[in-house]
Amino acid sequence: MRRQSVETLIAGLDAMHPERPFRVMNVCGGHERSITQAGLRSLLDKHIELIPGPGCPVCICPEEDIAQAIHLALNEQVILLSFGDMLRVPVFSHTEGPRSLLAARSQGADVRPVASPLDAVAIARANVTQQVVFFAAGFETTMAPVAAMVAEGVPDNLTVLLSGRLTWPAVAMLLSNDEQAFDALIAPGHVATIMGSDEWAFVAEQHGLPTAIAGFHGESVLAALQCLLQQRSDNRAQLVNCYPEVVKPQGNTQAQQLLREVMVVSAANWRGIGVVEDSGFTLRPEFATVNARVRFSELTDQSSFTPLAPPAGARCADVVLGRLYPDQCPLFGNECTPRHPIGPCMVSDEGACRIWMSSGMRSVDESKPTPEGV
Amino acid sequence: MTEEYISLAHGNGGRLTRELIDKVFVQYGQHPLLDTVNDAATMSLPNQTICMTTDSFTVQPLEFPGGNVGSLAVHGTVNDLSVSGATPLYLSTSFIIEEGVSMACLIRVVKAMAEAAHKANVSIVTGDTKVVPKGQGGGIYINTAGIGLKRTHTQFDIKRLSAGDHIVVSGPIGDHGVAVLLARDEFGLDSQLISDCASVYPFVEAIDTIDGVKFLRDPTRGGIAMAMHEMAQATNLSIRLNEAAIPLSGQVESVCNMLGFDPYYLACEGRVVAVVAPEVSEEVVRRWQVCEHGQNAATIGEVLPRQEQYHCPVSLVTHIGGERLLDELEDDPLPRIC
Ligand code: SF4
Repeated sequence: MRRQSVETLIAGLDAMHPERPFRVMNVCGGHERSITQAGLRSLLDKHIELIPGPGCPVCICPEEDIAQAIHLALNEQVILLSFGDMLRVPVFSHTEGPRSLLAARSQGADVRPVASPLDAVAIARANVTQQVVFFAAGFETTMAPVAAMVAEGVPDNLTVLLSGRLTWPAVAMLLSNDEQAFDALIAPGHVATIMGSDEWAFVAEQHGLPTAIAGFHGESVLAALQCLLQQRSDNRAQLVNCYPEVVKPQGNTQAQQLLREVMVVSAANWRGIGVVEDSGFTLRPEFATVNARVRFSELTDQSSFTPLAPPAGARCADVVLGRLYPDQCPLFGNECTPRHPIGPCMVSDEGACRIWMSSGMRSVDESKPTPEGV
Repeated sequence: MTEEYISLAHGNGGRLTRELIDKVFVQYGQHPLLDTVNDAATMSLPNQTICMTTDSFTVQPLEFPGGNVGSLAVHGTVNDLSVSGATPLYLSTSFIIEEGVSMACLIRVVKAMAEAAHKANVSIVTGDTKVVPKGQGGGIYINTAGIGLKRTHTQFDIKRLSAGDHIVVSGPIGDHGVAVLLARDEFGLDSQLISDCASVYPFVEAIDTIDGVKFLRDPTRGGIAMAMHEMAQATNLSIRLNEAAIPLSGQVESVCNMLGFDPYYLACEGRVVAVVAPEVSEEVVRRWQVCEHGQNAATIGEVLPRQEQYHCPVSLVTHIGGERLLDELEDDPLPRIC
C-alpha cells in the first residue's frame, strides 16, 4: 500500500519531467533528514534539486552567543545547560580558552546536556546553591516551550541565555538578496505547527515561488514535491498545506500568545549569514530577572568579541545558505568529519553536513548542482 | 539480614559479606556447582575445543521492561559464546555494587540471573562481590565470563563470506535499546515495549547444521548497522540492507520517528544475524520462524562486491526505493544500554 502510493508519486513526478532545473529548498533539519534518510535524491530526475537551506538552529547560532555560554560555564558558581547538539559546536573566534562547551567541560566546567525546559527546571531545583543557566538556542518550535517555562515562573537560581530565531525572516532575506536563490520552497512543518501556515504565504505571493508545507515522512516530502512541480507546470505559485492533519493556517495560537508575552522580536545575528531584520527572540524587560545577560552582565559582555575568519576552505556559510551542497565543501569528509567537526553543520543532527555524512549517498557520480561562486 | 540497603560493610570481607553471599547469592543464585567456600570452582570439561569470553554490564536503569542487569549479564555472555559456535556451559560472575543499592533490588537482579542461566542451560560456578562507596558506581555493575564447548560441526568463519550471500535476522530490531531508553523516563513517553533480552542459543542450534550458514553475529551496541560494518570491513565486501524487509515493531518505529533515531543503530540483546549462502536463506528463515521469538525472522539484505564508488560499505534501500548509506555510528544516542 505504502509502496504503491510512493510509486504513483514518483511516476507522477517523472511524468512531469522537468526540462530545466527545479531547485527546491527546505529550511528544516528534519526535512533534510527525511529526504536524505529516504534516499529521495537517488530516485528523482536530475533536474529536481533538493537543497538544504538555513534549517539548523545550532548551525546559525552566532559565535558570540556560544562564547557567552562558554564564559558563563567557566564560572564556578554556574551550571550551564544546553541542548546536546550545541556542546561540540566550535567557535572560530574565541581567542583564548576553550573553543566549545565540551572543551569547557573537560576543563572542569559544569556543562550538562538537557532535552527540554523541564529538565532545566528540575536541575535548578536540585541545585539551589548553584546558579543554573539554560542556554536555549533554537527556532520557534524550541522557543515556545521556553516561553511557557518562563511564563510559568522558574526557580530563583535559573536564568536563560536566549538565542532564539524565527525561520521565515531568513528565507525572506535570502529572497530579497537574490530572487533566483531557489525555485520553490518546502516550508517547515514543525515551525508551521506553532506559527501557522499563513506565515509562509509571502513566498508565493510576493516572490512568485511555489510553496508547500510538508510533513516528515519520505512520502510526505514526495507529495509536497509533486505539488510544487505541478504548480510550476501550471505556471502558478501559491502556498499549499500538504500537512493539514497537523498544521493549521493560524497555528497554535496559545503558544504564539505565550511567545508574545515573554519575548520580543528584533534584528539578530545569524552565524555565517549576518544580521537579519526581525529574526531574533529576546526576553521582555519584565523578565529581566530570568535573563542571564542581565544577571551576569559582566560575564556575558562580549563587546570585545572579534570573530576570526573560519578555517581555510570551510564553506559553512555557503552550505547554510543553500549555495553549496555539503559535499562540495572541500573539507567535507576530509578534514571535517563528525568526530573532528570544523563547522557547526557537521555537529548538529540537524546540520546538513552531518546528515549527509551519516546517511547521504556519497558517491563519485552523485549529481551535483552547478556550484555558484566556487 | 535486617539491613535493607547495601552498605560498605557488605564488601569488607567480614560477617556482612559472608551473609550477603549466603543469603543472596547462594539462596537466589541457586546452583549446585556454585562453590562459595573455595576460591575457585572445579568443573570438568570434555576433551574438546573450548571457547571463552568475558563482558561487563553497566546498563542504566538497572531494571527495564523485559529484564535487568542480571539477566542481561547472563545473556550477553551466553550469546557471545553461541554466535561463536559454542554451546555455553559455565559462567563466572563478578558484582561491583554501589553502597546504598536496596537489598530488594539486588535480590531481583540475582534471581533474574539464576533464571536466565537456568533457561539458557548454563551453570554459574563462581562469583565475587565488591562494594564501592556511594557515588562511585552506577548501582550494580556485573562482569560475566563464560566457557563453552565448540560445536564440532560449526563452520562459522567470516572468511567464508562472499558476494551474493544473504543476511538473515531472527526478529525485530532495536527493542532492547528503546525499552531501556524509555525505562529512563527522560522523554515522558509511555510504552508497552519490552526488551528482547534473551539467549540466542536456540536460534544457533536450529541452523548450525546447515552447511551454507557462514557467520553469525549478535547485533548489540551499535545495532545491525555496526554489525554489518564489522563484517564488511573484515571482508572488504559491501552489504546492502532492504529497509522494507527489516522487522521493526511499531513502537520502535514511532519512538525513532519522534526522537529522530535511526533504528539500525539501536541495540538488540536477543537477536542474531546470520550471513548465509543464498540457496539456504529460506531454510534458515523457516527454521527460525518456528523458534520462540522467531516468528518475524526475515532475509533483510545481501552481500555485494565492495562498492568502491561509495565512502561507506553499508547501504540501505529505503522504503520508498531510494538508497542511502548507513555510516558508522559516531556518538551513541543511548549511553549505557548494556
Ligand atoms: S564540511 Fe565542515 S567545514 Fe565544510 S561546510 Fe560542512 S561543517 Fe563547514
